[in-house]
Parts: sequence; C-alpha cells; structure tokens
Amino acid sequence: MNLEFLVRRLIQMIPLLIAISILGFSMMHLAPGGPLALYTLNPSVTAEDVARIEELWGLNEPLPVQYLTWASNMFTGDFGNSFRGGAEVRHLIVERIPATVELMGASYAIAILLGFAIGALGALRQYSIFDYLATTGALVTLSIPTFWFGLMVIFVFAEQLGWIPSGGYQSLGRGGGGLIDRLHHLVAPASVLGLVLTAQWSRYFRSSILDVTGQDYVRTAHAKGLRRGTVLRRHVLRNAILPIIALAGVQLPAVFSGALVAESVFGWAGMGRLFLDALTYRDYPVLMALLMITAFLVVIGNLLADIALGIADPKIRTG
Amino acid sequence: MAETGAATLVAAGERRGAHEGFGRRVARRFAQHRLALAGLLVIVALFLASALAPVLAPYDPNRVNPLERHQAPFSPSHLLGTDEVGRDVLSRLLYAGRVSLTVGFAAMIVTIVVGSLVGVVAAYYGGLVDTILMRLADVFLSFPTIYLLLVLAAFVRPSVLSITLIVGATAWMEVARIVRAQFLSIKAQDFVTAARALGASAPRIMLRELLPNGMAPIIVAATLNVANAILAESYISFLGYGIQPPQASWGIMLNNAQDFFTRAPWLAILPGVAITLAVLSFNFVGDGLRDALDPHQRRR
Amino acid sequence: MGRDRQVNALTDVLLGSEMTRRDAMKRAAALGLGAMALAGLPGGLLRSSAVGAQEGGELIVGSSQEAVNFNPVLYANTGIETLPEVLMFDSLMKLTPDGTYVANLAAEVPTAENGGVSGDGLTWTFKLRNDVKWHDGQPFTSRDVQFTWETIMNPSVAVRSRTGHDKVASVETPDEYTVVMKLKEPFAPFQTLWTSGVTGVIPAHILEQAADINTAPFNTAAPVGTGPFKFVEHVGGDHLTVERNPAYHGGPAKLERIIVKLVPEVPVLFSQFKTGEIDVVDYQGIQADRFEEAEGLADRVVVRKPSNFVEFIYFNNSLPQFQDKRVKQALYHATDTQTIIDTIYYGLENPTLTYLPPTHWAYNAEVKTYPYDLERAKALLDEAGFVPGDGGVREKDGVRLAFTMSTSAGNQLRESAQLILQQAYKDIGVEMTIDNRPASTLWTEDVPAGKFDTLMVAWDNAIQSDPDPTSRLHSSMIPVETGSGANYVQFKNAEADRLMEEGVRETDQAKRAEIYRQLQALLAEELPWAPIFNNVDKFGHKASLQGYRANPYLATNFDNAAEWTLTEE
Repeated sequence: MNLEFLVRRLIQMIPLLIAISILGFSMMHLAPGGPLALYTLNPSVTAEDVARIEELWGLNEPLPVQYLTWASNMFTGDFGNSFRGGAEVRHLIVERIPATVELMGASYAIAILLGFAIGALGALRQYSIFDYLATTGALVTLSIPTFWFGLMVIFVFAEQLGWIPSGGYQSLGRGGGGLIDRLHHLVAPASVLGLVLTAQWSRYFRSSILDVTGQDYVRTAHAKGLRRGTVLRRHVLRNAILPIIALAGVQLPAVFSGALVAESVFGWAGMGRLFLDALTYRDYPVLMALLMITAFLVVIGNLLADIALGIADPKIRTG
Repeated sequence: MAETGAATLVAAGERRGAHEGFGRRVARRFAQHRLALAGLLVIVALFLASALAPVLAPYDPNRVNPLERHQAPFSPSHLLGTDEVGRDVLSRLLYAGRVSLTVGFAAMIVTIVVGSLVGVVAAYYGGLVDTILMRLADVFLSFPTIYLLLVLAAFVRPSVLSITLIVGATAWMEVARIVRAQFLSIKAQDFVTAARALGASAPRIMLRELLPNGMAPIIVAATLNVANAILAESYISFLGYGIQPPQASWGIMLNNAQDFFTRAPWLAILPGVAITLAVLSFNFVGDGLRDALDPHQRRR
Repeated sequence: MGRDRQVNALTDVLLGSEMTRRDAMKRAAALGLGAMALAGLPGGLLRSSAVGAQEGGELIVGSSQEAVNFNPVLYANTGIETLPEVLMFDSLMKLTPDGTYVANLAAEVPTAENGGVSGDGLTWTFKLRNDVKWHDGQPFTSRDVQFTWETIMNPSVAVRSRTGHDKVASVETPDEYTVVMKLKEPFAPFQTLWTSGVTGVIPAHILEQAADINTAPFNTAAPVGTGPFKFVEHVGGDHLTVERNPAYHGGPAKLERIIVKLVPEVPVLFSQFKTGEIDVVDYQGIQADRFEEAEGLADRVVVRKPSNFVEFIYFNNSLPQFQDKRVKQALYHATDTQTIIDTIYYGLENPTLTYLPPTHWAYNAEVKTYPYDLERAKALLDEAGFVPGDGGVREKDGVRLAFTMSTSAGNQLRESAQLILQQAYKDIGVEMTIDNRPASTLWTEDVPAGKFDTLMVAWDNAIQSDPDPTSRLHSSMIPVETGSGANYVQFKNAEADRLMEEGVRETDQAKRAEIYRQLQALLAEELPWAPIFNNVDKFGHKASLQGYRANPYLATNFDNAAEWTLTEE
C-alpha cells in the first residue's frame, strides 16, 4: 500500500518536471539578450566573434533541438557546462550546496524550536495576551520584506555596533574559517531567515496543537487526572510532531525563496546567489539545472510531507 | 515568500448564504478588530497620499540636483532628505507609492480573475480538465516563488504592466483552490440542481448563482493578495529586475539605496518602512475581514 | 578647467619638439608620471620596498566581482579576470606604468635595432628566457607560445576575440627558445597584444591533452601558469587563493599568499576596507561618494588611476541632424564637461580632449578645444543655417535639431549628466529627449543596429592600452554596413582611415605617437564623438602594503604584485 502510493507519486512527478523544464527552457531562450551579451560589451569582440561563439555553444540551433540535446544530457546526469567560464554545472552547484544547507539548516532549527515554543504557548494559553502578541508579532514579521530586514540588521549590528561580520560565511586568512568564526558569520543570516520562518510556523504549530488538544484521547487523559505537563509531553507533543515534519517538507519552497534573499543580502556563497549570478549573465545551463534541482527537491519535500502525514494519520495514507 | 503569506491561512470556509443583517454584522465585527481598523486607516492614508502626490510632493520626483545630494532628513529644504543625485526623497516616496500600490491592486485583480476562472472551470467540468488544472496549480505552488518571479521578470521587458502580470501569474493558485472548493460544495446543493433542471446554461449558473455565494473567502484572499503582491514587487525590484527608471516603486528606491545604505541609511529605511506599513495594513485588514466573515467565529 | 590647462602645459613642454625614440620613451615616462601625480597619486609611486618590510605575509583583496575562468585566452573579459591572470600567468612582455615595454617571458623586447623586428615590420622574432618553468615544474618553451596562438585561432575554441592575432600569418619555433611570428600586414598594436593582461601564455603540455579546451578543468579548477603566484583554490562565490611561486623566473614574490575575496555589495566592500577585513580594494575600486571619507582614513592609502576608458557622447553620424560638423561642434560647446565632472562625479574623473586618457603615451593635448560657451554654440548653429523654428527648436530644410540620447537605464549618474546637457542644449535651441533603455538590449541589439541618435557611453580601445581605434572609427568597421566592427558612430573619413592604417603599420613608438596625435587633431575637428572625461579608477590599500602602484594600462594594478611587501603593523 505504502509502496504503491510512493511509486504513484513518483510517476506523477515526471510530467510535472518535464513541464517545468520546457517552460523554463523556452522562456529563457526566447527572451531578448542572451549569454553572449557579456562579450558584446568588449570592443575587441567583433560580430564574427559573437557568431562563432554562438555556434560553438549551439545557440544558433533551433530551439527544440537545443532542448532535446539539453534534456537528453540531463537525463544521463550531465548538466552541461556554464556559459560563463565553462565549468561543469554539476561542480558549480555541488560546491554551493554546503553553504545553503548550513544556512537553511540553521534557520530550520531556529524556526522549529522558536516557532514550536511560541506556537505551543499560544495554544495552551489561547486568547491570552501572549497569544495575541505572538499572532500580531508574526503578522508584523511577515509584512517586512526579508531583504530590507537583512539590510537593517547589517546596518545596525555590523555597521553601527560592530557585533557581527558584514557578510560572507567565514573570515578569510588570518586564522579565519574555524567553527567559532563560521558560527559568528552564521548568526545574522540564519536569524533573519529563521525569524521569518518562525513567524509563519508558530501559527501552524499553534493550530496543530489546538487540533491535538481537542482530540478525545487528550481530554480523556486530562479527565484521568494526569498532570498537565505529562499530558503535554506524552500525548500532545508526540502527536503534533509529525504534522510539523510534514510542514517542514511543504515549506521547502518558502525556505528556498528566503535563502535566496538572505544569501543575496549577506553575501553568502550558496545556491541562491549562484542562481542570481546565473540570471544576471543569462547562464542558461546553470539556471536550468538549478530550476530542475529546486523543482525536484520541492516535489520530494512534498512527498516526504505526505509520507509523514500518512504515518501520523493512517486515513490519508492512500493519498 | 509570497506563497507563505497569510493567504495560505485562509480556510476554505463553509458556505453561508447571504441573509439579512449580514453586512451590518460583518462591519460591526470588523470594527471590533482594532488593528484591522488601524490598517484600513493607514491604507486610506497611503492611497490619498499617492493619489494626491502631484499636490503634496514638494518637488518633481525626478528632478536631479547633484549639488544637494545625500542630504539627511529634516534638512531645510528637504523634509526626508535627498538621494544620491539630489532627488527629493519625500516626493519620490509619494510617487513611488502610486506604482507600488497600483501593482499591488492590479496584480490582485489578475490573481482573482485568473484564480476564479481556473477554479470555476476545474470544478464545473471536473474530470480531466479538473485534474490538469489542479496539477498546474501544483506545479506553480511547488515552486519557490522568488525563483519563478525572477525568471519571469528577467526575461521580459520590465514595465508596470509586465510586473503586474508576472506577480499575478504566480499567485492565482490559492484563489483557484478556494474557488474550486467553494464551487464543489455548492454544486451538490439543491438550488443548483434545480437551476440546471430548469435549463439554465453553464455560464449562467456560474455567474448568477455560484460566484456571489462564495464571495466571502475570495474577498479575504484578495485583501491578503494585495499585501503579497506589494511584497513580491519589492522583491523583484530589489533584486534588480523591476520597473525601469525614471519610474520608481518603493522596491526600486530600496534597490537604489542598496549602494549607499551605510552612508545614507535613510534612503533604505524610508521605503522599507513604507512597504512594511502597506503590507502590514493589508494583512491586518485581511485578518479582520476573515474574523468578521468566518462562520466559526460567529458562533462563539 | 584648471586641470586641463595643467595637462596642456605639461604636454606642451614634453611633446613640443621633435624627438628621438629614446627621448620619447623618457618623456612618455615623465608624462605618465607627471599626469598621475597630477591625478593625486601618492608621491612614492614606484618605491618597491621600504625599510621595515618583511618577507611573507598574507594579503586580502576585496572585489565586488568574481573571476570564474582563469584561462587567459578563454575568459569572457569582464575586467576582473585580469587580476588572477597577471598573478598566475605571464606574457612575452609587460607594459609598465610609464608606457615602456619590458621583457618578461621574452629575453628582450624585439626592436628594429636588435633585429627582433624586420625592416618591413612583418617578422617579429622573440628570444625567450630559458629558465622559466610552469607551476607544475615543466619547462616553458617556444611551443607554448605557438600553442597559445594556435588556440586563439582554433575554430573550435570559444575564444572571446581574435583581434590582432588574426593579423598573424604564422608562428614558427625554429628552436625551443625562439618564436618567429610573421604578420600578414604590418600591425603595430601587435606588440601590446603580447603583454601581461592582454594575452597570457598557456601551457601546451597540459591543454594539448584536454579533450575539449573549452571545458577543461584547467580553466576553472586547476590553472597552471608561469606567473609569480600559483593557484591554490577557488571557492565559487567566495574567494580565490594563490600562493607564492618559489621558482618564479623574476625571483620569488615577497608575499606568501594572496586571497581575492568576493564582497558583492559595494557598501559592504568599503566597510570591510575600513574595518581592515580586507587590505586592498582593487578592481572596481572605491565608490566615488566614499572617496573623500577613504582619503581621511588612518593607515589607508588611496590611489586614483586613469583607466583606459573614456566617457563619450556618441553621435549617430548617419542622421541628417549631424551632417554638418558645426552642429556637433555647437553641441560640444554647450557640453559643460567640467561641471559634469565636478557636480556629478565628485570631481574625481579626469578631463580629456580625445579618446585617449591624458596619461597615455600617444595623447595629444593640443587639439581644438570646445570650452563651455553657449553664445559660441548659438553662433555656430546660425552659421550652419539652423534657425529657431517651432517651439524654439532650430531647423534647416525640414531637419529639426532634435534627437534622443540613450544609455543604460538606471545609471543615475549618467542620467544626471543627461539632464544637465538637456538643459544646455535647450538653451541653444536643440531638443534632446532622454531615451534610456535596459542595458541587456541597448548595447547588444540596438547600438550595433544603429538604432540610436546619440549615446552616453564609456569605451576603451580594442587592444586595451593600444591607441589604435580602427574597430571604432574605420569606415570598414560600420556594423550596419559590413556586419562587423564597432564603428557605431558610422564615421567615414578618408584621411582618418589613412591615418589609422598607417598607425598600425608603423612599429616605431614615437612615430606612431605622432600619427595618433594627427588623428586626434582630426577627430577634434570632425567630432564623430565628443569625449566627456577619462574614467579614473579609485583604489585603496593598507598603508603597511609597500609597492602597490597604479598601472593605467591595465584594469588591475596587480601586475607587479611579486614586488609587494607588508611592513609590520
């Protein structure tokens, strides 16, 4: 049953990914300007040079041919080479994964701990001042543009107070790059991204816990005279945790978006910055690869979320 | 980030037919929500300020004066200071507000129209059409919004219209789902069956009976959508793919300020505050409307 | 205009009389130096090391752009790539800040006197050093030079440009340490072509084995050069590390390690310079609006360097409005370049009268000038027969003096300059409309297709520091007519063509300088374009760094990094 569901979901993914790839590919290639714009700004590069490079890169072939070449290479795990520099796209991306994972992981951790704490307190003291402030605070946080939030954090804590580094994920040279140094660099971007996620998630956690506390077995437990803390630990938390894992999966796109912004503001050498650079230089192979990888991860995230929910609630296991 | 905004929190509420006193009751409940009321006031103020920009702005927003550049706020001739080429920040904020709010509203309308259309069509025809449309919604939903927005914005000529369409095109899914759910729940009800039996045509049923009955959640979603659209526009602009100068939005002003934010922080602070204020107000109003319209709340 | 006059006076003295070649070199050196001192360079420009200097040390360089391809013939030339190139690679010669060529991989600079250049200027013989080793220990030989040229001309290699190299008929290697290059026609910029930062020599023994040079790991992950520094690592989006090459043929560098750190946000770059997180701000430099603050920082030295770039008004000379040169002259008279520099560019850019920086060895400071004078401008337009018509806009035979001016949308400094011009032009009865367009399409599509009236643009020459402007001014280089070239102004002038053809045939530097001075005088009369100013790069470094100096012929100043030292702090 479980396996069948999994296989079906995986098969459903394929047309979805193909649709995304065709959409992305045609949009990029039909747009004005292109990866060769970089060359034309140089007066020593002539029109013949540009035509020659265009041909070498296969950019003069009909679009469907280009797409099929790209797709068949992609299928064999070959993402191609960057138009800006010629490096293997796979290498460029793999190189950036640790930084992004570090940032996203730290933000997830902050958001889950803080979000859960706030959500739980809010749920247990529903309609209290704290609940009201938490809900309002979350809405305020969600209304602040993340990049602006980041800029302000840099301005206040790096520029004015000098407490945190103004960018990058480590100090270079002079013995930089140690664990403490890296944590020091991680604090600001992870907090900014983490707080935004906390704002979203505390509200989900709150309702998730409210759902559980409303269940019969919890009421029974209370009725049996179990202490509040015990009920919370044994029943409420245990049953609220799986929806939370599911949430972490479903929220993957949001975290990706947030990471892109945080990386851009804090000079963090992750995949989001790679994407922005590739966009600037119209580096199609990198853009396409990132697009596909993100789409793939997001679909997988959704799938894991479904599985987590399936385990939590057998009723929905069949999808 | 837009997809994670408050729009997702809108529960596809249970249908409730319009009945006497409903409007008044909603208004009363809304007025009890103090933050929503404050939000509404701020929105009205922002709208008036933008609409009256030609009257209120002390200077031409695009008039450069390099001799007066980087003046801090409260300087003798510039209340909110000047930017890197000596343009008056207050004047620019007022005019930029027009662009930001226009994009916010126009994108919301695109969202509602596209979302409703998709939702109604999916629910009405069901079967394969429904599957395809909802899968499409999944594709869009499963994508990090910023990536989608940037890819779209990077490959079109940026203008108010194109940015509006892009923001709208990446936000219709939530509304489509709400509308579809609304529609499906109504579809099964007696009066629709009756209308059909009487020979009413498909579009007629959709327009006459179904849409008005499912308006409440759509209104809430629309309000929250304005907030998200303003945010989305600011992200595109900040990352360098926004509307072209000399036209400016708050996001564009922030993008320009980026190069100077340590030296002239007010250039970054002021438009950021404007965006936050506008987005927050719409979110509060959306929250208030949801509470006011939510049947569950009404029972308490 | 004070600085203008100073430059004038200086060049008067220096270039006024006939000169022998040696004299020219010396004077060019003096001019370069003098003008740079004028531009506010620190006094101890060429001091290589100071008392208290010590061996070793680590230098952290900040840059807002990132080099991603380290193969000197393959990178796309965004400018920043020159920095790693001059650290890790060498060319046959170097062009020093004073405008002289010195041997590098070559044992001596070929000249007519030493028999390196044949009488007809067609055969160049380079004697190579025999003590040069690649970073992997393999010896450097004439085959590497030959291979470099072959790679550039190889149709299956995505080389950015073959300009200059395509004038070469053959490259022969009579022995391991001799390279003979035969030109199809005399081409003097050829010498500049084989200098550091223009054409770096790449190793045949590695790249001949590569399945596809375009994507070889050499380019991005394992470059091997002959330069003073060796590649250590490149972490994409973060930094590049190079370390001293102990076997460097010019003697090992004093610094142990150089780290080039990417700091994408320009204000953050400056903050890190202030806090000392980075030691040097080189390529792209310090923001103009922070320069004054930078000058006031303790223990920091700021450097202004005239670049190869000149900011112009480009006229589309095919338009009926611009057929009479007096119209362009009038517009130039109404162009207040000094006010633009002072009020918009913080007074940091250098005035220039021609398409060359005033510090250039071929610069002509005695050309016709167009001081800001609206009355003179109006008189010229009257003379040309353009009289005020509808709305005060002058016209003649149905041709209205109205045009658009375009540049990259969003360039606020240029937009400010455009507004100054618009006002002044209006005062003399000319209607200029600002029509700025997205950079992505303006430069790549509209400009080559001739779809513009006037442009505000900064450009350098095809072979960066060489004074030859053929690709930008020769009548055979008009892309709308011939499909190639960069003569976007669509300038056609037989005398100019002749001078440019002669200029690339002449190999004697002094005689060449004379030809280009004539050309500059002609351009100042005909005005295919109107130079506004010479872009000045603004760099900064820690005071404890010794030996850093400006090289106006390169985008970076790292070409002598081997000589730098850090004093104890």
